[in-house]
Amino acid sequence: MFGRIAACAVVAGIGLVLGGVPVQAEENFGSPELIAAARAEGKLVYYTANFAEVEQQVIKQFNKRFPEIKVEMVRAPGGQLITRVKTEAAAGKLIADVVDHSDRALMAELVDLFQDYTPPNAADYNPAAQISPKLWPRATLVWSIAYNTELVKDPPKTWMDLTKPQYDKLTGQVFAQSGGTTWTRIMFERQVLGEDYWAKQAATHPILYPSGAPMSDALVRGEIAIGPLLYNAIYPKQKDGAPIQIFFPPEGAPVNPYATGIPKTATHPNAARLFLNWCLSTEGQTFMIKELGNLTSLKVAPVYPEGFDPKVVKVWYPNFDQYVKLHASWVADWDKTFGYRQ
Amino acid sequence: MYSWVTLLLAILGFLVIYPVLTLLLGALTDTNPVVEGLQLSHLSVANFLTVLKNPNVAEALFNTLIACAGGTSIAVVIGLLFSWIVVRTNTPFKGIIAAASILPLFAPPLVAGVAWSILGSPKTGLINTLFKWAGLDWRVDFYSLWGLVFVFGIYYAPYVYMFTASALRNMDPSLEEAAEIAGASAFSTLFTVTFPLIMPAIVSGMLLSFIVMLGIYGVPAVLGAPSNISVLTTYIFKLTNWSPPLYNTAAAVAIILMVVTGCLVLLQQKVLGRRSYTTVAGKAFRPRNLDLGPWRWLTLSLGLIYLLVVVVLPTLALIVAAFRKFMFIRDVASLFDMRQYSLMHFDSIFDNPLTLNSIYNAVEVGIITAIVGGALRVRDRLHHSPHRGGGPRRHRPDRDAAGRDSRPRDRRCLSVGLDRDSRRALRHDLDPGAGVHRALHAGYGEGALHLVPADPSRTRGSGLGLRQGHAEHTWHDRAAAGAAGRDCVDDAAVRAGDPRAGLVAVSLYQQHHGDVGAAARLLRGRQHRKDGRIQSGADGSARRLDRRRQLAVARDGAGRRRAGNKMKK
Repeated sequence: MFGRIAACAVVAGIGLVLGGVPVQAEENFGSPELIAAARAEGKLVYYTANFAEVEQQVIKQFNKRFPEIKVEMVRAPGGQLITRVKTEAAAGKLIADVVDHSDRALMAELVDLFQDYTPPNAADYNPAAQISPKLWPRATLVWSIAYNTELVKDPPKTWMDLTKPQYDKLTGQVFAQSGGTTWTRIMFERQVLGEDYWAKQAATHPILYPSGAPMSDALVRGEIAIGPLLYNAIYPKQKDGAPIQIFFPPEGAPVNPYATGIPKTATHPNAARLFLNWCLSTEGQTFMIKELGNLTSLKVAPVYPEGFDPKVVKVWYPNFDQYVKLHASWVADWDKTFGYRQ
Repeated sequence: MYSWVTLLLAILGFLVIYPVLTLLLGALTDTNPVVEGLQLSHLSVANFLTVLKNPNVAEALFNTLIACAGGTSIAVVIGLLFSWIVVRTNTPFKGIIAAASILPLFAPPLVAGVAWSILGSPKTGLINTLFKWAGLDWRVDFYSLWGLVFVFGIYYAPYVYMFTASALRNMDPSLEEAAEIAGASAFSTLFTVTFPLIMPAIVSGMLLSFIVMLGIYGVPAVLGAPSNISVLTTYIFKLTNWSPPLYNTAAAVAIILMVVTGCLVLLQQKVLGRRSYTTVAGKAFRPRNLDLGPWRWLTLSLGLIYLLVVVVLPTLALIVAAFRKFMFIRDVASLFDMRQYSLMHFDSIFDNPLTLNSIYNAVEVGIITAIVGGALRVRDRLHHSPHRGGGPRRHRPDRDAAGRDSRPRDRRCLSVGLDRDSRRALRHDLDPGAGVHRALHAGYGEGALHLVPADPSRTRGSGLGLRQGHAEHTWHDRAAAGAAGRDCVDDAAVRAGDPRAGLVAVSLYQQHHGDVGAAARLLRGRQHRKDGRIQSGADGSARRLDRRRQLAVARDGAGRRRAGNKMKK
């Protein structure tokens, strides 16, 4: 009997210990040497094309696990970020430790600037989302349509509804040059919704924004009433109580994986690796999905964002060859249709 | 000193010539020198011509010129008005108006643009929300060229204010006193004497505002983007900041912007170079305040309205935006719903260590710039030999006939011409070293009267001369000049037929006796003819003539003068 009590106590004790440890502690973020070296470096410079408010949350969550590593974030829309990276690299002054960019086609041209990198869970990722072994889909974003419920009483329900004359001067759009996500969207519009979709959309005189961040602010504020937005640009605002409704149109929801890498000139390479390892881990991806509205390029998604039903939403991935080949000419065509940068 | 100047020139050359050459190269080639290095293989003007023919560039240039011209006009009106109110009137609480006139300088353009977008958006602007709440049918739309003009005007008025207030403060008020003695009303004096005399300051302030507005990005980026209004700066930004950067087109557009700026600077040199307007007396005196009577409350209220519009409203808008969770404001009531406010945005920005870094960097750059710029300016002032020469002598070297160092104060000519028909003061130079010449000369077309410092080789160093046309009358010393002044009262009054001519004599007399009042009384006392000149009444006061009669008399006098009056040498 004494033995049985002791055995139960041991089991209970083990249970208590195990119960207090989060499951993710089992996840491998890197070797102890890498973690020690990263802590010694103490900081990293992080260039990202994702939204500042979104990435701020990611960094905060990363710091809960690794508080000694400060992350200095430099954010710019993809179109600006790539110009900045190219200019800095040409001058030999690329100070970024991590470059997180939305346009895989533009990043493919710069792949020689990056060093080899592979996360511990590399095998869990969908190879179709990757354009190079050095660049990884750290963030995967999906498009949706959002509207301001205080201003819109007859909301749209499809992509084609956005071209209705009744929404003239009520809509907004992020212009094509902004980055890889907008390029994905306009590619979807032309290939799936029709060759004349851009012209019909332009006829409703949308206000053009340089990025989803100011556009989502404008939607909440009421400057525009309706518009296509990346889910992670508008979902956090809805979560915080803004008068917004979001839906995924039945024609399809374009998805854009990012391309993220560590430049060869990184001065904090270990901190960079640790940061990316965490972001690409199940823990990191789960946080980004649940709290921020991202999707993921993991073969098996650990979870889906609220409001996104994988059985209903038709995700659309661009053909990568066309994503590269049609990039310059289609973006130029879009600019001409909307009279932007002419 | 020469090595210092050479160093400064070399730095200036590098800071100016190198970027201009890079731009020229970009405009004339098809490569990006920043990323692809210097390449001269495809030099041609084709790219530049394409840009010139682009209707969007023409539209951006047109918008730029309209916005800057309109903004400058508003800035001049506001700046000049407030400088006059602060320096030359008895408006109460002038300190507040003076501060309000400078405060807009501290607002960065982007911040101002954001604030006015919050206030003036046609759909969600706070101003329209307030109008709706008040039941008014008015609407403002700052997402327009006029919105741009308005914001430019109110934010760049301080440039004009600083120049004109300084000029008004340093201006010799005796010129206005003399005009008043001659019978001009306060407002007539303002527009015919004061403002023309500070014209260099007005032009400088105007030009500076225009040139600064040409280069502003923040305001048109925020206010122009929703309505697709492009100016040259936002156009260039769009071309260079996105992928792929259209560097060559942007360089060509930048060259256009530089040409416009260059033309303005040349224009300024030409306009100001024709005349000499030095009004700095070099002797401390108090500018006199115009007594506005009950109108001073109107001028105070104008200042307070400006303060409200330029400082208070935008600050409140930014406070609302910074603390409000979401910028959706249904109505005025929800503006005061405290549940909608929180510190979440501050938490968000201070989470990023780069925020504090950028604040430190901005302060550091500001302090260093202020110290270096200030040091350069002090050095420049210590070594600068101010050339404030007047009239026909202004380009002569600062050495007198005996080879002594004759500073401008010994050689300058005091000359004020009053145009016969427009009755505007045309020229006015002062000699700070020899004391203030408190005189206003009446000019008759080409026969402007000039008080000149006499040639020291022929006088005892500080004599005075009176020159009319080609004739010159010299007194060897001031005492003689003063005595001659009394004689001139009659002489000038008889010859000129215009009461203001007597001011020549007044000035000479006053120079000697130092008493404007006595000189004025002398003038009035002596002028007792009954043919249209100032008549002294029984109580010795002068009565002002009807203006048309004065003009007629002046013309008549000028004719007689031309017919044969000559002053003996």
